[in-house]
Amino acid sequence: MGFDVGVVLSSVLAGMIPRAMPALLAATGENIDEIGGVLNLGVEGMMLMGAIVAFLVDFTTGSVLLGFLAAGGVGILFSFFHAVASVTLKADQVVSGTAIWFIGWGLSGVLYVAAFGFTTSPVRINTLSPVSVPYLSNLPVVGQLIFGESPIFYLTLLLIAGVQYFLYHTKPGLNLRTVGENPRVADVMGVNPTKYRYGAVLFGGFMAGIGGAYLTLVIVGSFDYDMTAGIGFVAVALVLFGKWRPWRVFIGALVFGAIYVLYLTLESLLPSFPYQFLEMWPYLATLGFIVVVGKRANPPAALAKPYDKGE
Amino acid sequence: MRGIVKKFGQVVANDGVDLELYSGEIHALLGENGAGKTTLMNVLNGVHRPDGGMIYFRGQEANIRSSTDAQRLGIGMVHQHFSLIPVFTVAENLVIGLKDGGTRLEISKVKEKIAQTAAQSNLVVDPDRVVKQLSVGEQQRVEILKLLFRGSQVLILDEPTSSLTPQEAIDLFSTLRTLRQGGKSIVIITHKLYEALDIADRVTVLRKGRVTLKGAREGITREALTEAMIGRQIETKGYERTKIAAANSMTVEDLAVDTERGRAPVEGVSLQIRAGEILGIAGVAGNGQKDLIECLFGLRPVRKGRILLDGIEINNLPVRRRLEAGLCYIPEERKTRAVAIEMSLMFNSIMHDHWEEPNVSRGLLNGSAIRALTKRIISKFNVVAQSESSQAGSLSGGNLQKFIVGREMSRNMKYLLAVNPTAGLDIGATDDVRRTLIEYRNQGKGILLLSEDLDELLTMCDRIVVIYRGRVSQPVSEESFDKLKIGSMMLGEGFEQRAVAS
Repeated sequence: MGFDVGVVLSSVLAGMIPRAMPALLAATGENIDEIGGVLNLGVEGMMLMGAIVAFLVDFTTGSVLLGFLAAGGVGILFSFFHAVASVTLKADQVVSGTAIWFIGWGLSGVLYVAAFGFTTSPVRINTLSPVSVPYLSNLPVVGQLIFGESPIFYLTLLLIAGVQYFLYHTKPGLNLRTVGENPRVADVMGVNPTKYRYGAVLFGGFMAGIGGAYLTLVIVGSFDYDMTAGIGFVAVALVLFGKWRPWRVFIGALVFGAIYVLYLTLESLLPSFPYQFLEMWPYLATLGFIVVVGKRANPPAALAKPYDKGE
Repeated sequence: MRGIVKKFGQVVANDGVDLELYSGEIHALLGENGAGKTTLMNVLNGVHRPDGGMIYFRGQEANIRSSTDAQRLGIGMVHQHFSLIPVFTVAENLVIGLKDGGTRLEISKVKEKIAQTAAQSNLVVDPDRVVKQLSVGEQQRVEILKLLFRGSQVLILDEPTSSLTPQEAIDLFSTLRTLRQGGKSIVIITHKLYEALDIADRVTVLRKGRVTLKGAREGITREALTEAMIGRQIETKGYERTKIAAANSMTVEDLAVDTERGRAPVEGVSLQIRAGEILGIAGVAGNGQKDLIECLFGLRPVRKGRILLDGIEINNLPVRRRLEAGLCYIPEERKTRAVAIEMSLMFNSIMHDHWEEPNVSRGLLNGSAIRALTKRIISKFNVVAQSESSQAGSLSGGNLQKFIVGREMSRNMKYLLAVNPTAGLDIGATDDVRRTLIEYRNQGKGILLLSEDLDELLTMCDRIVVIYRGRVSQPVSEESFDKLKIGSMMLGEGFEQRAVAS
């Protein structure tokens, strides 16, 4: 095993934030979903739809911004279906979410083929380039790590701070948490659980769409069938890992990103090692985290339970 | 409220009920279970919409369509099951849904307001504590504060003392008196006569959805109330207990049981349940009593100590062997643990001995024997059921419990572990269940009775032990029963010192 640990370490540090971003964006949205009491297992499908729509819009208009917005829009559209099924019609949230995953999975592939036919080499678009924060990015080590990222990263930091503030320092945030703990109590206290749940689910869908778009518009620059490869489910797992706290979810996403880059780096450094085993490793690690942390997790009491107003 | 009618399908829960409530009074709404008390108050509180009748508030016709409407009029209710979020702090629970004062959550301002309200009403709670760490009495205070916080003038309390210790109930009543002086109207829904007599200014009694008695407290006697509630006079005391001299007993020696996270483990418990006596366990819920009983029945492992049944150690026996040895168990959760509600009474009646003759013959269930057994249980224990093949879930709570008690009594039993056997039953069914238990005691069976109703223990038991944080007191025998003394032991009196000493 002759490779330089320093090289591995620096490539992990350099790559972990970009690799963490899709899962982080989706997980931040899913967190709000779940705090409102709705489990959305369709994140994966919404991310794939976000990825393809962003790709198509960027390809035709050349605008990354429009790509992101369109991806957020398609995420909202798909989560609207989830909200209608699970909030209004009180369907089983696992079933509804799984259906959305399947639809997004298949439809995103179909859309790509419909637009470009079967291609041997992937159609490419330009990716969003990173922005270096003046001065700060020249700092040793952390400079490039933290201050040389895509603008989306900085916006996400702001967003997480916003989510944190919303949940714990505003009345609507308290109301949303109440809806996730006990929608009946919320209702009696004059909070409309349906409205809050719709809001939470649509926000979650928007974030999932953006997360998918990040893959095509920032990381890869092309679309590939099933390119999320389970990141949507990792996002769901990260919420559990983060115990429904926005900043803990953020930390979890960074850890996942680091592990993911480690796998990519080792894959190139160890060409003779069967890559299938390396590929498993980020997901195995996620599974391990869930088993360890999940045991002590304290989910919102009404998570995945539809609210039936009754008499 | 005038001529209120509320139907649920075929059932008429309120049938033309009139009720007047004045400011600055405490009004007791009395009745048995199913008399329609809670329904009536849910109509007033906007949870149910009436099928007929009118509500007038301060002389104006009030159209209350939701609890938000009721809140706007200043009507609020504390339900039997609290509507608090256990993982939130007291302050957070109080501000849910409040709209005034911008979108920011300013906890410090909330705390000031809590302090003010608390000072006026004698309701002291620490706003920073998380609700799930509070006692039932404290949680109830938070519920009342919640109503006051929203400017409620009419407070409705549904069975407010049902899970309080005697001392907590006394505190609650003094709070209510303070609030009355402040001009609030308070309705207490209850089926306890003495409570109504103790605190109410005026009383309305419901039976089967109709008003059977109403008037000022002074003009009403206990007998009149009883008759209005249940339509017949029953003796409230007078369970005849004959002295039994039996040598056998179920003995527990220095038992320790692990409990779920958050509850004190059961430690160093020694008990003797003598044949022919009822031993009571008193304690505030969550002090390990249920874990103890589950361990005795074999549902939880013994960590330390011994359980002896007629001198034979049963520590490691599985539940089935304990059943065969003559141990019976009446769990509190009737519909989830005592019966399978979707199965017929016949199958339910053999759940604990379906392997025994004559329920089974040549390896097959014996339908006619089982049917005969079920019929016997139904007739002997006055169970109202359509037939022996009815689903267990189709029985009312009281009848189901009579069936469960009857089933256990029909077995070849020596010792019975009963957990809150009369919880949620009306006076009639409660009386039937108690009589049955006493009858079997008089036949020389040993009964361990765990009840959250201290009065029940005092009327039924020969001896009572108190459990507090997993430790058990010395037994108090009948001659020295003292309600307030036992009540304060339930709150820990006499326990700490002993722990320090040992």
